[in-house]
Amino acid sequence: MTHKIEQLNFLIVDDYGDMRGVLRNMLQSFGVANIDSVANGREAIAHIEAKRYDVILCDYNLGDGRDGQQILEEIRARKLIGVSSIFVMITAENTRLMVMGAVEYEPDSYLTKPFTKDLLAQRLERLLNRKADLLEIENAIDHKEYELANVMLDKRIAENPRNVNEFIKLKAELCIKAGAYDQAEAIYSDVLVQRDIAWARLGIGKAYYGNRRFDDAKRVFEGLLEGNERFMAAYDWLAKTQLALDEPQKAQKVLETATAHSAKAIVRQRALGELALSNHDEKVAEHAFSQAIHLGRHSIYKHPSIYANLAKAKATTTNGEAGLRVLRDLKKAFKGDKEADLYSSMTEAVLQEDMGNGERARTCMINAHELYKELGTRAAPELALDMARSCSKMGETERAHELLQQAVKNNHSDETFLKQVGSTLADLGLSDDPNALIADIKKGIVRLNNRGVELAKVGKLDEAMLLFEEAVEGMPGNKVVNLNAARIFMLQMKKSGIDPKRLDQVREYLTRVRQMDSENRTLHKMERMLKQLLSGS
Amino acid sequence: MKFYDVLASLIHDMKNSLSMVVHTLEQLTSDPSFHYDKPEQVTALQNEARRLNNNLIELLTLYKIENERISPTIEDVDVANFLAEIVAESSSSATANHIKLSYDCDPDLYGYFDEGLLRGVLNNLVGNGLRYTMDELRISAAQEDNYLVFRVEDNGVGYPKQMLAAQTSEDLHRDLAEGRTQLGIYFATMIAEMHKNKDQSGFIRLENNYRLPGGCFSVWLP
Repeated sequence: MTHKIEQLNFLIVDDYGDMRGVLRNMLQSFGVANIDSVANGREAIAHIEAKRYDVILCDYNLGDGRDGQQILEEIRARKLIGVSSIFVMITAENTRLMVMGAVEYEPDSYLTKPFTKDLLAQRLERLLNRKADLLEIENAIDHKEYELANVMLDKRIAENPRNVNEFIKLKAELCIKAGAYDQAEAIYSDVLVQRDIAWARLGIGKAYYGNRRFDDAKRVFEGLLEGNERFMAAYDWLAKTQLALDEPQKAQKVLETATAHSAKAIVRQRALGELALSNHDEKVAEHAFSQAIHLGRHSIYKHPSIYANLAKAKATTTNGEAGLRVLRDLKKAFKGDKEADLYSSMTEAVLQEDMGNGERARTCMINAHELYKELGTRAAPELALDMARSCSKMGETERAHELLQQAVKNNHSDETFLKQVGSTLADLGLSDDPNALIADIKKGIVRLNNRGVELAKVGKLDEAMLLFEEAVEGMPGNKVVNLNAARIFMLQMKKSGIDPKRLDQVREYLTRVRQMDSENRTLHKMERMLKQLLSGS
Repeated sequence: MKFYDVLASLIHDMKNSLSMVVHTLEQLTSDPSFHYDKPEQVTALQNEARRLNNNLIELLTLYKIENERISPTIEDVDVANFLAEIVAESSSSATANHIKLSYDCDPDLYGYFDEGLLRGVLNNLVGNGLRYTMDELRISAAQEDNYLVFRVEDNGVGYPKQMLAAQTSEDLHRDLAEGRTQLGIYFATMIAEMHKNKDQSGFIRLENNYRLPGGCFSVWLP
């Protein structure tokens, strides 16, 4: 990236025409020639889709439509800007926590209005230097080359530069991402021994959560909120922690407090709605889902399940007709989307059944099941739970049982999800001892996995391959099985040469995992292994 | 809607207006073709607009401190860069007032404090300093006896005696109620005292003739 500020492309986003003029004037006085300016989120996204910007100066408060945080979330999530681009959020208030929407997307910097052009110049200079300093590492992280990033970070930390904490912070975040919670915890405690820094406190809470030390995590997040009741990220984590502690009512209260402080975060509204719905607090759920839909009209977080859940809530607070109306909105908002059709059919089955239209309900359910099978691993695992519920309601116990068993098989290592399967099994009276049933299925899969790995270890790759091929067929949605199968297939090809048919299979296995969990660490390892295999090294 | 939200949204709007005033004046004064036979009036306008802005920030922050549980969000801050920004923020205003504004600080110094809150405090002190100094204003930061010390020094006439006496928030609160002290000092004291580390709290100190022959306002953070 070039350092010369006058050669960079700038985008100004501000709803206030005079303010756009002011910013443009400031930039021009630095010699910048490439400046575009827009008034709202829609135009901003369109510009960013069409052109690469080095620096985006975006006002947080943009009147109707998207706010600055939503723009940032969308362009980062959709990767419309690379890690080398700089995003500066311009706010009216000097407290940055206040505007924190989703936790995972933070701008590179906040600027508080009004600021002089000298300050803007000073800030841009620093941000450009910082970007150049971190670019290599951020690039590695962006490409999911975590090991490489880690090596680079260790090297920089060993050099002990004046901004060493910046690298330490990145390293700890990387540990959390990679699931190395012990290591993250150690790093954060080291920092906290010296000073009580906010990012390290939030970080150590996350590390505790990852290590399933939920009581410790809870204490950390509560402590952060005691110090500052607008620390939005702490609310989200506290609610997550309380849910893990089996305190769904308390978790709901936490999110209600959070949304009272900052109503604009779609993800949080959606999480609140889902919690409230499962707590049978349909009034709160209805409000939260309506908000999530309203806020999410132009957002990447627009999702059919929000509509489906709103329909369910409305069927209780108002009546079935009101629920069906929401489903019609759903279809309108997601024309031609199979996943949306699935949500719609599934939900309609439940509503129609409750309204006493058994025949119509059955048709919807059969339709939903067909769509579910068609979607395969692209359908969210939680859908199996909903489907099972409606099947069971209509007396299709066999089908419900089968769906839940498959759900366990596909997600045998996801404890949180298995807990949900367990309570669904119990709720529906499908099993006297759901935990034992789940444990049995788990044991079977673990045994199968271990046998395959063992076979591979002693060099019986062909046998191992057969075993995993069969396993994958039975559990196409199981990440671990898919990844192991891919690995064994690749080991075999490394020994005996590339086989196009097997190569396709490997690609298919990896694609499935990517659809379910693109952040999976083993997946990234397997993808690298595939690259090496193909480059013939 | 809470009163806070009304306040915040009004302040947002006022800040847009202020931005316009500040920036338009800045553009006028930096435009070589602009001739006005009383440039000091433009400068006075600039000074007042900035003061208004600093007061708005004080108002909002004090409201938050009184009505919500709020404590500083401690981050690790590159102090030299932080001071460079404080100076950049006020340099055009200093130039227009014919005041030499500078900072000095060890370039490797890192500090632990709430950047947003301290920015408010220092902008305020600089704003006041620009009004009371003769022709020089110096900002500095240093690590002294377990404290990070920010100093704003001027070469004006210095602080009057009774102000040098009142140094705790209680004194100041009383003086404030009796109209004897400025809101700015009270604000700085509140923010300083909110910064705590182990068993130490922050504080402020007023003195005269520290290095420059005028007033010296220091903020001590543990």
